[in-house]
Amino acid sequence: MTTPSLQVVNPTSAFAALDFRAKAALFVTASVLAVVWDDLRCTAALALAVFVACRAVGISWTYLGFVLRVMTPFFLLLLCTHGFFNKQYVLRLTGQSHVTPVLSLPESWWIVGGMVASKEGLLYGATVVSKSLTFLLLVPLCVFTTEPNQWVVGLVRLRVPYKFAFLVSATLRFFPLIFDEIQAVMETQRLRGFALESMGPLQRVRTYSRIAVPVILSAMHKAQQVEVVLQSRAFSGRSNRTYLHDPTLTMKDGVVIGLAAVGLVTGVLSTLLLGFGRFVTL
Amino acid sequence: MSTPLVSLRSVSYFYPKSDCAALLNVSLDLAAGEIVGLTGATGSGKSTLCLALNGTVPQFFGGRFFGEILVAGEDTLNQPIHHHAARVALVLQDPGSQLIAASLEQEIAFALENLQVPPPEIAVRVSEALAQVGLAELRKKHPHDLSGGQQQRLALAAAFAVRPRLMVLDEPTSQLDPQSAAEVFSLVRTFNQRFGIAFLIAGHAPEEMAEVVDRLIVLADGRVVADAPAHRVYTDLTLLQRHAVRPPEVTTTFAHLAGRGLARPPFPIHLADGMERLRRLPPPRAFAPPEMVTEPSTVPILALDGVSYRYADGTEALRDLTLSIHRRDYLAVLGQNGAGKSTMIRHFLNLLQPTRGEVRIDGVPLATYSAPELAQRVGYVPQNPDRQLFNASVEAEIGFSLQLLRLTPEEHERRVSGVLADLGLLALRKRHPFSLSRGDRARVVIAAVLALEPEILVFDEPTTGQDEAGARAILDLTRRLNEEGRTVIVVTHHLALLPGYARRVVLLREGRLILDTTLRDAFHAVASLESTHLKPTQAVALARSVDPVLRAITPQELARCFDGSASLPASSS
Repeated sequence: MTTPSLQVVNPTSAFAALDFRAKAALFVTASVLAVVWDDLRCTAALALAVFVACRAVGISWTYLGFVLRVMTPFFLLLLCTHGFFNKQYVLRLTGQSHVTPVLSLPESWWIVGGMVASKEGLLYGATVVSKSLTFLLLVPLCVFTTEPNQWVVGLVRLRVPYKFAFLVSATLRFFPLIFDEIQAVMETQRLRGFALESMGPLQRVRTYSRIAVPVILSAMHKAQQVEVVLQSRAFSGRSNRTYLHDPTLTMKDGVVIGLAAVGLVTGVLSTLLLGFGRFVTL
Repeated sequence: MSTPLVSLRSVSYFYPKSDCAALLNVSLDLAAGEIVGLTGATGSGKSTLCLALNGTVPQFFGGRFFGEILVAGEDTLNQPIHHHAARVALVLQDPGSQLIAASLEQEIAFALENLQVPPPEIAVRVSEALAQVGLAELRKKHPHDLSGGQQQRLALAAAFAVRPRLMVLDEPTSQLDPQSAAEVFSLVRTFNQRFGIAFLIAGHAPEEMAEVVDRLIVLADGRVVADAPAHRVYTDLTLLQRHAVRPPEVTTTFAHLAGRGLARPPFPIHLADGMERLRRLPPPRAFAPPEMVTEPSTVPILALDGVSYRYADGTEALRDLTLSIHRRDYLAVLGQNGAGKSTMIRHFLNLLQPTRGEVRIDGVPLATYSAPELAQRVGYVPQNPDRQLFNASVEAEIGFSLQLLRLTPEEHERRVSGVLADLGLLALRKRHPFSLSRGDRARVVIAAVLALEPEILVFDEPTTGQDEAGARAILDLTRRLNEEGRTVIVVTHHLALLPGYARRVVLLREGRLILDTTLRDAFHAVASLESTHLKPTQAVALARSVDPVLRAITPQELARCFDGSASLPASSS
């Protein structure tokens, strides 16, 4: 049976045991490096490192496979877009006067006939894909290994107002419930004979839009009920409250935060000053 | 007289955009340490009254509010809702949707943290609350990993930890199996007796309520129509019938005995009293079960052959299940939460495919049916009708599934009009489904299913959250459909409502079939029922208390076992 919980990985793993703030530091460092680096080798290595970390903390192949499956069409679109259309930007990055053609579409093809894909554009497209993958995998890496309550306390410690921190955590908790509701509504419709897998794309979109009605109504009902429950349990949104477990930073957390800071500074400075991580055509 | 803990004075309330009063001129008091029951038909105002006691009505919902509610001398309107949490705790109907934390201890700590209780004190109270409800060993678990009964106990623990003066429970057991419901009521008694907490319990569980409440309030159309000691209200059968409230079976039994000259009012409302008084009557005669009106055929229509199912997380939900359901069967599927009922039903609907074994309809493997083909063979009526409704009118909702069948316009109209007339929905055909009452929405869903003319109908907990009249209306419909030749499968744990409807019972425990027999035999298979968190009905318990082999299962049957010509012993009144 599925459990509507975001805590899907072993909470005793070394990474999961880190304080939220240590994870946030790693998140920020990896995100900034993914933004500033344009070298495919660097971005791919970063994405691979995050992927390996996801597996190491116990995020399932099923989940990772699902993410890759869903994103593959977008990644292909990114590759094509950059390969065929991104000329001026890659020329500026490389300082070259022309790009290297690697693929020409036959002139006779409708609309796209005669278009040329460049090596530099494809490389940059692959870089963007690996940057996107890094962001995509960082989210489950941090979210799935952190109890919602730690989010709240951690964000409050980072001076985020309690009400906002609680909203973030409540939203994270709410998503699985909504997915469950969508699943239940889709099953109910299937039992009326509507099998999505046998529908064409247009009919599928129409059916999805109809399913949205009961899902939205249910979500609104649940949200209203949660709000009633919260207020009935003394929730006011104010930060002046106590915490059963008030987390303190351990030595390990301090080391991780320190390493993340060093990594961030070193990565950014080496890019700015030494050109490390700049786009190269390989 | 001491100052009441809660005092309502001429309270009336209208929800926004409504001219119909949800509460009308309600005046009542609740004393400290009192346990008060609140009952009435669906829509009578029970939940609204519960939500008014901590200011949620009207502060959260808006609308027009008149009168005054004082809790411990403080007007609920003078302070925000969260301010009242230290005095009034609220526990709602749906156990899952009111749990908000990622572990049991966090769930209990949440309100205490908001109330700025020092952490060492929170730790003590969390441990105590978990121990009180028997969940101490699970403190680090996620609340959604608990069973429904455990979740409701957790919700009670979270409310108790605050040490409120009053706990308001809105239909706390309607989604629980009988044993879990009994545990909840047992906790109510414990918290009341040991800690002096007052309770207001809204609901339709007369047998359990009668055992614990001191006083019973009946609401009808937002008005208080009765407010008296529980024994007086539960024995006023005319009043209860008028307001769609079912009395405890023990009371009904003695009312039937009175009709035979064998009992006099006041009738008992507690099972133990009923047993005691029944034993003073002359011994019952042997009971001859009535003839079945509709016999099922011997032709199997739906068969499970050695079906096992294992979920991705390794849970063995079904284990080697073999079952044959015949045409015109009326089958009740029973078992505690997690016994495998839903998993079995999902196999009937091809939503799950067996890990091992096979499911067949008319000898044809279910896996070979397309979704539209299956929808014409097996109709499914979900517990929550709102999951199915999304069209702009009742007739569009019913006609929606028919689009797939590519019927002629004449045939389409014939089917839509036919089911509308059949279910008394003709006058509502142009209305938006969400403008209807819950009972009418349930009928629209049934109509939409029936329009496909399936031979097998599966009803998932059709009586949950319904009052006596609503539950009977749905069950009467299922019986009529069965008498017309359809096979009916009902998943439920409301045993008291089954006599007169189901003929056959399938009982599941831990994914295994432990009983497949007639309703009468199942009701008397006490050990099997209790092994899966079910309890025999009061009528059965009473019958067995006077004669272990007396096979009566309803109050009427039980009363008929006693000889009306026998003189009434003086002590039996």
